[in-house]
Amino acid sequence: MSKVAGRAPSGSAVSAPSKPDRIDGRRLRSERTKQLIIEAYLSLLRENPVVPMPTATQIAERAGYSVRSVFERFPDLNKLRVAAADYALAQAAALAPPRHVDGDRKTRIKSQVETRAGTCERGVALLRVLIFSAAEDDELKHRVRLSRERTVERLEVMYRPELSTLPERERENMLIALEAITDHESWARMRELHGLSFADACAVWMDAIDRMLPPTPPTA
Amino acid sequence: MGLLQQPAARASKVDGRRLRSIKTRRRIIDAYLSLAHEKSPLIPTAVEIARQANCSVRSIFERFSDIHGLQVAAVDQVLSEITPPPPPREGDDRLTRIRAQVETRSRSCERWLPLWRSLMANQGESVELRQRAVALRERIVARLASMYEVELSTVSPADRKRLLIVLEALTDTESWARMKEFFGLSFEDACQTWTQAIDRLLPPTPSRA
Repeated sequence: MSKVAGRAPSGSAVSAPSKPDRIDGRRLRSERTKQLIIEAYLSLLRENPVVPMPTATQIAERAGYSVRSVFERFPDLNKLRVAAADYALAQAAALAPPRHVDGDRKTRIKSQVETRAGTCERGVALLRVLIFSAAEDDELKHRVRLSRERTVERLEVMYRPELSTLPERERENMLIALEAITDHESWARMRELHGLSFADACAVWMDAIDRMLPPTPPTA
Repeated sequence: MGLLQQPAARASKVDGRRLRSIKTRRRIIDAYLSLAHEKSPLIPTAVEIARQANCSVRSIFERFSDIHGLQVAAVDQVLSEITPPPPPREGDDRLTRIRAQVETRSRSCERWLPLWRSLMANQGESVELRQRAVALRERIVARLASMYEVELSTVSPADRKRLLIVLEALTDTESWARMKEFFGLSFEDACQTWTQAIDRLLPPTPSRA
């Protein structure tokens, strides 16, 4: 419903907000509180990834709200986790649109790798939790699946020229292998186990992808 | 026999007790491994393990400080039982070596996936479990380095390190699991995916002098 619906048609000022405006305002504030709770959960996960589910008290405290506020918006913490997954997926899509899709090979590889690396840096803690918990939760399983499908779709978009030169079966195998190489855990190992900087880890991926892809066909 | 038993008889009694204790310890570890495999990535409780091992919960905690200690012992047992695959044969060509390494690796992934997931999911803050996970990865990397030494020797140390990082990521246990579970590949198709990818990643094989 439009915010202006129900207002008096005359030019005189309206001294108090009308009922729909008030409801919209409450709803907006409630949504904002929900978002802050989700962000609190995600930030606690990043700080302490070994604890897959912070307590409601910890989440409420971080968000600056009461525990009651948390459970007014989420029936249980599992639902909060699902909502956090949806939020993270939407955030990844917003922060990581495909760039330089029509660039040359080197530009496209650099662009895809840096975008993917950024997504991994932000999302590895949550993804670990989701994957661990997905075994017992169909909603989470679906989100994990969605996340992987989007990764593969992105690879298809960015490397379309090279992939188009391959027979169908080989093309599928190539995408599967590229997905494995650029998996978020692969990223985490490069950073945590091998101690690579962001730039060096990107260089590993860029080199690998350049080796993997067939030659780029000449543009018409 | 009097209070002062003959030394040989006393030693025999102690040995018998120690042997039984070792056997019980082994049964507990085997029970943990079997249940962890079944319930992966969740870990079994002490009650479940005791039931499976046909012993008391007390017996478990007489031998292991806690479930975490049992996890560590179980992983050590697995590590000790994994037989290293044979090294590449002199004269094996590139494709033969790739296929051999992929075949071995894929069978290992099939066998150990549930326990691997359990280990990864339940490391928590445990330094010992993390160390074991790292040790397992190092073995995999050593195997890759051995099988592809001919090709890896043609690149700089920095490139060699990069390639091994990528090869390890490609042939990670979860990567195998995704090929089977998410992409729905058969064993043979999954092996072929890895074979093709490794062939693309490796630098050209130098020709023999």
